[in-house]
Amino acid sequence: MTKSKMQQHGVDSPLAKNTPAHRWFQILVQNQTFWTAPLVTVLFALFVRWAVALNPYSGFQVPPMFGDYEAQRHWMELTIHLPIKKWYRYELQWWGLDYPPLTAYHSWLCGIVGSWINPAWFALDESRGYESPDSKHFMRATVVFWESIIFIPAVLVFTQICYGKQGHLKKNIAALLILLQPALIIIDHGHFQFNNIMLGTTLWAINCFMMQQYALGSFFFCLSLGFKQMALYYAPAVFAFLLGRCFKEPNGIAMFIRLGVTVVATFGVLLSPFLTSVEDIQQVFHRVFPIARGLYEDKVANMWCAVNVVVKLRQLFDLQTTIRLSLVATVLAMLPSVIHLGFNPTRKRLMYGLVCCSMSFFLFSFQVHEKSILLPALPVTLLILEEPWAVSMFINVAMFSMFPLLKREALVLPYFLVTILWNYLAGFHTIPMSKVVKLLTSICYTVILVWHIAESYIPPPQALPDLYTVLNVLFSCGCYLLAFLYFNWRQFNLVDNATEYTDHRKKHQ
Amino acid sequence: MLNVLVVSSIVKLLLVRAYRSTDFEVHRNWLAITYSLPISEWYYEKTSEWTLDYPPFFAWFERCLATFAPLADEKMLQVDNLNYASENTVLFQRLTVIVSELVLYWAILRYRRSFGSKYVHWVIAGSIFLHPGFLIYNGFLYGILLHSIVEMKKRRYLLSGFLFAALLNFKHIYLYMAPAYFVYLLKAYCFQPIPTPTENGHADRQAYANVSRFSLANFVKLGATVAAVFAISLGPFVYMGQIPQLLSRLFPFTRGLCHAYWAPNFWALYAGADRVLIIIGKRLGWSLNQDALGSMTRGFVGDTKFAVLPQVDAIHTLIITVIAQLIPLQLLWRKPTFNNFLTSLVLCGFASFLFGWHVHEKAILLILIPYSLMAANTKAHLRIFIILSASGIYSLFPLLFHSAETPIKTIFTLTWFLIVLPSLARTLHTPLRAVLHPLEYLYLVGLVVLQLYTDVLHTVIFGTGKLEFLPLMMISIYTALGVCYGWVRLMVGYLNGTI
Repeated sequence: MTKSKMQQHGVDSPLAKNTPAHRWFQILVQNQTFWTAPLVTVLFALFVRWAVALNPYSGFQVPPMFGDYEAQRHWMELTIHLPIKKWYRYELQWWGLDYPPLTAYHSWLCGIVGSWINPAWFALDESRGYESPDSKHFMRATVVFWESIIFIPAVLVFTQICYGKQGHLKKNIAALLILLQPALIIIDHGHFQFNNIMLGTTLWAINCFMMQQYALGSFFFCLSLGFKQMALYYAPAVFAFLLGRCFKEPNGIAMFIRLGVTVVATFGVLLSPFLTSVEDIQQVFHRVFPIARGLYEDKVANMWCAVNVVVKLRQLFDLQTTIRLSLVATVLAMLPSVIHLGFNPTRKRLMYGLVCCSMSFFLFSFQVHEKSILLPALPVTLLILEEPWAVSMFINVAMFSMFPLLKREALVLPYFLVTILWNYLAGFHTIPMSKVVKLLTSICYTVILVWHIAESYIPPPQALPDLYTVLNVLFSCGCYLLAFLYFNWRQFNLVDNATEYTDHRKKHQ
Repeated sequence: MLNVLVVSSIVKLLLVRAYRSTDFEVHRNWLAITYSLPISEWYYEKTSEWTLDYPPFFAWFERCLATFAPLADEKMLQVDNLNYASENTVLFQRLTVIVSELVLYWAILRYRRSFGSKYVHWVIAGSIFLHPGFLIYNGFLYGILLHSIVEMKKRRYLLSGFLFAALLNFKHIYLYMAPAYFVYLLKAYCFQPIPTPTENGHADRQAYANVSRFSLANFVKLGATVAAVFAISLGPFVYMGQIPQLLSRLFPFTRGLCHAYWAPNFWALYAGADRVLIIIGKRLGWSLNQDALGSMTRGFVGDTKFAVLPQVDAIHTLIITVIAQLIPLQLLWRKPTFNNFLTSLVLCGFASFLFGWHVHEKAILLILIPYSLMAANTKAHLRIFIILSASGIYSLFPLLFHSAETPIKTIFTLTWFLIVLPSLARTLHTPLRAVLHPLEYLYLVGLVVLQLYTDVLHTVIFGTGKLEFLPLMMISIYTALGVCYGWVRLMVGYLNGTI
């Protein structure tokens, strides 16, 4: 498709000039106070995070098990009191550790600092379900701290790499909109998780790849994997990209070896305490990849749950078959994009490849949680200036799909506020669209609006108590599927910038 | 400007779950009283300790809001439902604040229309609407004040006087500024200059260089307008013979020169000096006032006694305040221009704040908000504004004392300064670093050090719960230095005509 045709279809329009974000930076430029722009952006992003942090966290005042917040707190407790060998074995029914070791080391660090401030917060066994304003503040502060040193600088560097040569406005607008992406804020600072560390290290990996520092990038990506195994959603795309680059670069074999050594060394260091015995390392894998839990849990907007509405997969097939089914489906879904990326590993293709690959995993993989949408959401958000319409739809649907979870945790008001704030500043409604696209968009948002209104005021029928959640799942899954197809189509239609790697080749000549 | 409104509304809604001071229960109680009880009992009702102590217009305002309260939660309107704070109640009250601040929004729109539409006016308007002080206090009444000032600028003296009279009947704290209004309205409106053949411009100088003629008609008009406002407000209570009770509620004889948390005024410095002298006095064996030694360290609201320095009574503060107000007012009388009016307004507010009896730290906003309008007039004003805002806003920080709000108030204030100050400096074509004197920079750095100390180091050095008054006292005294310094510079500059 030629560029003009794409514009006709309204899918190649840049972010308009009359949006609040644009106007804000324009005012700063005109009055020569632009040096304050990145500072104000970061401060505002932090402000929104702290404001969302005022709200209750997952499992707030809900005994006996509480929620994700208690899980994180418990890991800080057990890592500081127990020897490493016991970390993956200690009383597993109370929030046993189920992330790879870097999370454990990170919990240990936070636990040490927290204990120094107030030992009661992390006293072994006695502090289960410990809840107080001060300990909450500390926990929230750890999330903000790590985000400030990993994720936020990564975003600023990313926008500098991608848009630095195109003037100040673009990169600042991109940074503002990426940092205010509502899904990450509401999950990390509302629900309470540390996704920003995994996403931040992945973003650093992307930054390194963009700067052709492949070994360093793979190091960061290993850190990301070592923090949360969900980063595997990106792994095939990253692998294909790196492999492709090995073929394209001069000294490809040396690079391949370097990469291999980096990966092995990084994982070696991360897993070193557990490598002394086979049972230890097996236990780690057993906890990190809990296959026995089944194809899906709860109601998530992925294909299996959606299909489950009609065809009860878990009853039709046994565990092994479902695992195989999921594996095959995932691989088939990601194969086109990943192979395409491998054959011509450019920067742009990497971004789209990450989207498509992680979406395949989300749609077809095993034990997917609704929060996992954050993984595709990262590369999608990074494309905000290239695909504003698609990004806005995707993130808004992502927020919508997480609503049932957020509602359970009394995060409804912040849900609306951060979503509205982001959409307002970006001014998505001003993107010029063709009639078809406009119709599609209107239908989509009307459905969401109607669902919200109905869900608030009309109780579901007795026979179908989960009606609203199921409708949400079906709708979101449909949108995700369309998004998956769309981003695949866009990847295959990318106009590659021929001069992209000439600088690099010049350097090596 | 609309963007500012939308973003600020979202920001305020995000803070719905933030700390609620006792003010929340105060207003819930007033909603209940005005809704459930007849007027005759409004100023007598005392089930709750937070009795109605604002003038009648505010009570009527609460009554209006209470009409909508049943939509949220009826139970908040039961008078005996003390400390009731359901989710809906909280949301309702927060929404009333946001909606009532639309009055302020309207005021800043009109400000831009009458003062100018350049970038500097946009910055000042935004800086007022999103002032950190309004994280804690309601900006609605400052909206009315701003409307009144705008009318004054447009020379609609009668309307301005009317609005100010109404404002007084909402909250009598604005009496602090009444003398400035009185003097200016009297001179500028009731004394009409005799038209003289003007040679060229400089109309102002010509106007007051000549004799003005007292206009009885204007005086009567103004008097009647103000009287009418008070009549509407106080009339029903005069009829019911409740005025003494009303006055006793509005002007309670509160004990103590200083509030429990010392407002950063002159008396804070006085008390601080007294403490230092106690230490010296003990070393040198002076005979000290024994009562005073006991009362000071507890930090309660009570009669403040000084051990070394002379005692201060309410009458002393009144005299000093009046003198401090008369100084700028006499200049205003001689040269009644709008700028002088605005400066006198600020200086009157200053005088009451610095020397008044039992001053609450929220009164600093009475100085900061009007002064914002002048912040970018000259470099000298900007200098004062920076120091004043920094110390004034920081002095309000201890009011939000929970840890969850610390990052919020700090980030919000930092962002505010980062946006407002460079922009204002830019409009004066001065680089920001050239505005302040090095010592003033040092003062600002000191504020950061102070925050680090009170937030972190104090508990590290002394442990939790020990010497809790010390950080508060340090904040009071340090910010009092900044506020007093601002007052001195403004007063001197105003009197010398250099500002």
